[in-house]
Amino acid sequence: MYQIPRAEWYDLTRAINWTPKYVTEEELFPEEMSGGRGIPMSVWETYDEPYKVTYPEYVAVQREKDSGAYSVKAALERDAYVDRADPGWISTMIAHYGAIAVNEYGASTGEARMARFAKAPGNRNMAVFGALDENRHGQIQLYFPHANIKRSRQWDWAHKAMHTNDWASIAARSFFDDIIFARDAVAVSIMLTFGFETGFTNMQFLGLAADASNAGDHTFASLISSVQTDEARHAQQGGPSLKILIANGKKEEAQALVDVSIWRAWKLFSVLTGPIMDYYTPLEHRQQSFKEFMVEWIIIQFERQLADLGLDAPWFWEDLTKDLDITHHGMHLGVYYWRPTVWWNPAAGASPEDREWLEEKYPGWNKTWGKCWDVITDNLNNDREDLTLPETLPYVCNMSQLPIVGTPGNGWDIKDYQLELDGRLYHFASEADRWCFEQDPERYKQHQNLIDRFLTGQIQPADLSGALLYMSLGPEEMGKDAHDYAWAEGFKDKTKVA
Amino acid sequence: MAALPICANFEGDFVLQLVGVDTEDTMDQVAEKCAHHSVGRRVAPQPQKIMRVRLHGSTENYPRDMKVSDTNWRLTETIDVIFADQ
Repeated sequence: MYQIPRAEWYDLTRAINWTPKYVTEEELFPEEMSGGRGIPMSVWETYDEPYKVTYPEYVAVQREKDSGAYSVKAALERDAYVDRADPGWISTMIAHYGAIAVNEYGASTGEARMARFAKAPGNRNMAVFGALDENRHGQIQLYFPHANIKRSRQWDWAHKAMHTNDWASIAARSFFDDIIFARDAVAVSIMLTFGFETGFTNMQFLGLAADASNAGDHTFASLISSVQTDEARHAQQGGPSLKILIANGKKEEAQALVDVSIWRAWKLFSVLTGPIMDYYTPLEHRQQSFKEFMVEWIIIQFERQLADLGLDAPWFWEDLTKDLDITHHGMHLGVYYWRPTVWWNPAAGASPEDREWLEEKYPGWNKTWGKCWDVITDNLNNDREDLTLPETLPYVCNMSQLPIVGTPGNGWDIKDYQLELDGRLYHFASEADRWCFEQDPERYKQHQNLIDRFLTGQIQPADLSGALLYMSLGPEEMGKDAHDYAWAEGFKDKTKVA
Repeated sequence: MAALPICANFEGDFVLQLVGVDTEDTMDQVAEKCAHHSVGRRVAPQPQKIMRVRLHGSTENYPRDMKVSDTNWRLTETIDVIFADQ
């Protein structure tokens, strides 16, 4: 049977718009859901997505991807890689699944919002595939870790984490609520697919797949590659939205959406990806430092993409670049010190060899971060583990929901950026965090961070044990040192002499 | 007497922390309460130095015997605790 060539019908079928008879355009596309921003429908119809795919093509490719990833998993299951992998790598996987899997389902909600409410037909068409992508990512990233629940209850946090009040979950939810659940379709296309996916996750997943291969974890590598190839496609929805906003006098608003999304994504990366790359990944498998990765893949590449679209680099670009030497070291130290409050076992990554590597990659590390690790190491080698565990809570930023950190030791430099509003004192970790808040105080001002919840009596008993209870962390789930302090052994002689 | 939660920034440490103080505490007592969560944990002790308290970002230390109730600290006020010679 003769089939009309794809090129002859594709544009007709993807650009389906009609004139509503029974409802008004405003009722069909409510502003709070669609975010048309007063730009006429005829302009939104010019939205031109760079990546075009038909449903039969999509299904065929996705089927291949799924069968590939699931086959690798089935074939390697008997190999029991997880039982012999470095504990640091296990922690990487457990942290990743808990932070990501359920939020992938969340992303499918954002894609579905675009599929229904975007005024641009091309966006609606592409978002249908995006919603299917994200649904698949949620399912596959819940299914794979499920096989390991027999090994440790921490694996169960792939599903559980986002349903708890763990501080890391509160931080992740705060971010994803802001860029996915509580935004109109156009803002979702910019903040989720351009700011977060194009800017960060697409590259992050490429790096993570390479790290998994290097670590010998081919199951995880094939899973991540399978997800990343979808991301590379549906992440392209934001670019055409930005072009339309810029061409229609909305550059300032477009820039603000991009900037808020990038800053908030960076903070989440600093606590998840930074520690994994520079501390959890076994030394022999580390390819690039987190800073090198960020400069090459995020700073340089993303800046180029912004310029191509006619946008500026965010005003905080210099601050972000400086933070590459600071923030993730602080996040790592915080996660390690407050390890009972996370669902994975943090790897210290602070052995003599690790510290040599850190000093090489981050000159001055030993005189700053190393000073804190010196005290922790001495305590461990003098049987004072109790002093390496917390008795209070770290102060948490009212935007990122993450601890307010800065350079310790000889370069001590921490600043609290404050804002007093309606009689409440807000604390921020940076000028950019405070700036994000100031873009729309009504959106953010009612949110309670972990400290606010503690001070308003929601955490009982009002101590660390109550906080752990509030976070739903049972004894088998709380994080411990991934290597049972073996890394500190290398300092033992030195400690005794001292 | 009333409890007041503050945000403590201790010299040499890497993170701000929640610390509970009392309005009747002197600045020396405030410094001690903050030190409990930093010194000997991530900050090496400096026994030859005196710990002094000042408002975050200020260069002026509070008198050591000044009480919290005599300050204008807001709920969750941020203070710096530094090692000083006197």
